[in-house]
Amino acid sequence: MDYVMQLVTAFLGSLGFALLFHVRREKLLLASLGGLLAWGVYLLMGYFSVLDAPRYFAAAVVLTVYGEIMARLARCPATLFIVTAAIPLIPGGSLYQTMSYFMAQDNAAAAAQGFYTLVLAVSLAVGMLFPTSIFHLLRQLRHYRAGQIKHRHS
Amino acid sequence: MDNTASLPAPDKAAQHQRFEEIEKANAYLYQALELGQYMLQCGGEVSRVEDSIRRICAAFPVERADVFTITSSIVVTIYAPRFGAITQTRRVSGMQYDLHRLELVNQLSRRICQEHLEADEIARGLEAIRRTPQYSFPVQLFTYALISSSFCLFFGGSVLDAAASAVIGVVLKFLDRSIRATDANAFLSSLLCSLLGGLLAGLAVTVGLGDSVDMISIGNIMLLIPGVALTNSLRDMFSGNTISGLMRFIEAILLALTIAFGFALAGALF
Repeated sequence: MDYVMQLVTAFLGSLGFALLFHVRREKLLLASLGGLLAWGVYLLMGYFSVLDAPRYFAAAVVLTVYGEIMARLARCPATLFIVTAAIPLIPGGSLYQTMSYFMAQDNAAAAAQGFYTLVLAVSLAVGMLFPTSIFHLLRQLRHYRAGQIKHRHS
Repeated sequence: MDNTASLPAPDKAAQHQRFEEIEKANAYLYQALELGQYMLQCGGEVSRVEDSIRRICAAFPVERADVFTITSSIVVTIYAPRFGAITQTRRVSGMQYDLHRLELVNQLSRRICQEHLEADEIARGLEAIRRTPQYSFPVQLFTYALISSSFCLFFGGSVLDAAASAVIGVVLKFLDRSIRATDANAFLSSLLCSLLGGLLAGLAVTVGLGDSVDMISIGNIMLLIPGVALTNSLRDMFSGNTISGLMRFIEAILLALTIAFGFALAGALF
């Protein structure tokens, strides 16, 4: 029940940010479903690992692949889907908690929470990097093959 | 090259032609930068902006194009024998995510490369994109309420907390709009929003609308906290755009500190 609530609110939260970022009608649903998918992967990975870093990494990889595929289907930049789908994973709450400890002069707690925030953000960023690079390489390969013939002519 | 050596007297016609080429290149480069700037302001990644400008310049065509972009500046030098080297720079500020417009600018950039559009055609295309409608103010109010209540529930708040968070979210949107009209500093705006958010959350619990100040606040914090910026700053750094990444990273940390300060101040006042 707790999980269902989290999945529903992850979807709604992504929808909210998609609206905030001015994503348009037909892509709103796709982008918010990405958020649902990302949180779903995160929860699912909980069965394999208790650490948040690998769970975040796996969720980031899946959501980026989803974003890249949807970008090709909907013919628009992948960022549109990736940024909105990552919303439930964004370590905003943890970042706030860090600064809140810092303000309360609880330095040990602030340092611990700060490193935790950094680990989450790095896992997310690196997880996004892999699929994006691979899709980029594939695209270059295709351009290279198409370009080879053209270059020979010029 | 040999043609410079074999110029006994200044050739008026050739000079005139060269002058025209320079003017044309300048006008084209201006529009390429205009497009790049708009892309950055709509939330495009630094690498995407650099790539787009390079392609647009290559389509002019030029022999070489060197593009350097960070989140707050663009520098482009193009070179071709017919007009020499031309450099233009831009200072970019005021980033505001609009992924729909980003998509349109991206399409325009592709069209420029495929159809080799002229400078004035690019300007017209950009103007059309600037005029595309955004979500209306009531929709934006709903958006703030939706985000606040969703994250309140997401982090384990009660339904009553979510309702309070949604109402506060709407109030914050009104405050945000009036601050934006005054051209105030981003940190000041965050401070005022978080201070008001904290005060209203405290007030809501005292009058009985909501159970926990922290749970009500977390929904509003997700509106204000630069979590997306923090993640994107790391993405920038990992993809080789270290300066942009660092700038955004520091900005995100400072903004987060300001927000925490605002809520802490509100907590102390209550």
